[in-house]
Amino acid sequence: MNEFVLVACTILVLIGTAAAMLERDPFNKLISLSIMISGIFPFIIDRGFLDVAIATALIAPLSTIFILMVCRRMPA
Amino acid sequence: MIAIYVCAGIAVYAALRVIFQRNTMRKLPFLNVVSFAVTGIIALLLPHPITIAAAAAYFVGSTLESNAIASTWAGGMKKDE
Repeated sequence: MNEFVLVACTILVLIGTAAAMLERDPFNKLISLSIMISGIFPFIIDRGFLDVAIATALIAPLSTIFILMVCRRMPA
Repeated sequence: MIAIYVCAGIAVYAALRVIFQRNTMRKLPFLNVVSFAVTGIIALLLPHPITIAAAAAYFVGSTLESNAIASTWAGGMKKDE
């Protein structure tokens, strides 16, 4: 991985983490967590752990869906 | 080599748009843009035949995730009867 892509993925992880800390709305927190998980994937692929990357790509949305069951909006 | 630079630039730009957008409904299309750009980075990063399977798995998973967030934010399924 060259420096430009490394810096770009690091920026994705850092701003996703900072936004997940600072947001108040649970949906905005989940969106920020999604950006953070997007940032870590090129690092997993770069080492050659392709099976780990496939498993993570299929398990991470399941955890998001389980959290979404908790924070469903109440009907007005 | 220029293609992966373009994908990385688009990913960072779309992530900044997501962070500085205040409306939740307007964040979600840019979340999809981040997913597409990261899929491009994954597919171009390592010359190995299984890389395309990893990119496809990530594409399916991230699209499912952002659409689940959008569907739940919009109210979910209506209970009729």
